[in-house]
Amino acid sequence: MAAIALFQQALWALNSAGEVVLLTLLVVRKNYRSYPAFSFYLLVDFTMGSTVFFVYRLWGFDSATAYRIAWGTQGMVLFARALAVAEVCRHLLSRYRGVWALTWRILLLCAAVVLSYSILAARHDWKLALLTADRGLGLSIATVIVVLLLFARYYDVKVDPVVRSLAIGFCLYSCFVVLNNTVLERWLHDYSALWNLLGMLAFLASLSIWTGALRHSQSEAQPKEILLPSGIYRVIAPEINLRLRLFNEQLTRFWKVEAGRS
Amino acid sequence: MNFFFYTFILAVAVLLFLLTWSFRVPKRRRASSLDPAVSLQGPDRSHATYLPQIQRALAPADFEFLASRASAKLTSRVRKERRRIALIYLSAVQEDFQRLLRLARVIAVLSPEVSTAQESERLRLNVQFTLRCQMIRLRLLCGIATLPQLSGLSQMVSGFAVRMETAITELGERAALATELASPLERRGVGLS
Repeated sequence: MAAIALFQQALWALNSAGEVVLLTLLVVRKNYRSYPAFSFYLLVDFTMGSTVFFVYRLWGFDSATAYRIAWGTQGMVLFARALAVAEVCRHLLSRYRGVWALTWRILLLCAAVVLSYSILAARHDWKLALLTADRGLGLSIATVIVVLLLFARYYDVKVDPVVRSLAIGFCLYSCFVVLNNTVLERWLHDYSALWNLLGMLAFLASLSIWTGALRHSQSEAQPKEILLPSGIYRVIAPEINLRLRLFNEQLTRFWKVEAGRS
Repeated sequence: MNFFFYTFILAVAVLLFLLTWSFRVPKRRRASSLDPAVSLQGPDRSHATYLPQIQRALAPADFEFLASRASAKLTSRVRKERRRIALIYLSAVQEDFQRLLRLARVIAVLSPEVSTAQESERLRLNVQFTLRCQMIRLRLLCGIATLPQLSGLSQMVSGFAVRMETAITELGERAALATELASPLERRGVGLS
């Protein structure tokens, strides 16, 4: 147990150092202009991490005060993470106004549905309420990112390598949070020592992905897409759908004839 | 509680699978640009050119005549060849369908507003069509399907391709006009879209 605690402290220091490096890179390369919410998230996470570190030193790891402060700061980190994920979504699709208007509503709906399910599936134990909220938000973030990338694939939108790395980092970390918290909920006492350690390792992995992606300067302004007049979609889209429907009906008839013959 | 525990594990597994899949490059990824004209071009168009030959190859009368005169070995060989043609043809029809879908997506991406109803209907039609094509392909491979109706499908696609070509030409002209209009205004700091 003592070895784990020592390793945990070392990892904490490593994560903080990694965050400082990434924040410095964001400032030096001026990438904070392109990714303000992501920079804010890192800053909040670093500040809250440092706060919790001093709180633990002051009141001890098992004190109720430290517990309340630690989970309270986690709420702020989650809020900042949600903003950063929203920024990733905006970077990927907001250039395409029509599709973006459709996508963000669907993404919000997905997040709400997943969050509701997570709350429904919780044990309804007030001690585990924050853990449940953390898991629910983690699952919502992972779902939003995956649905966003599926949209990008469906509409054949090219994903910028930096945006892709940010999305992968958030998704992998969120998936890990869900797994980690689910296991913790089930084997609370046996797993609690490992829970924090594994969480920090997962964050370090995401931090490495983000640092790799943001080591170079990014252009602030995205190239603007020249959109078609809105009338074109209104005329052509129903026409294409009608043809596709007829196409399908023809295929259905063919299928029925074949089924009848065999 | 066990049920919920496994649903979370399963949800993460599904999400990770979809994440990996979303980065996989599709087999026939279109060149690169979101150009409506590019999305309708390509070697796929040749399938309409061979329509009369395909119809002839799939005509049931020919096969019946051959079956009544030729040896069993030859008949079997011809049946296999016809099946092979039908499968290639089905793939070509599917490619035409996909080309239409691609065109619709490009227009959606480049449009300032899209309709949820149109987009969801297209997604549904795509899933439906793909599933049916796979079923027909399976039946053809198992040798329990006959061939003539495929030519009906092809005629429909070919007719539509001609109409879409006209529409795309018009679209290209309008898009070029929009670009010309937008350029001087944007230089003055006025956005059109």
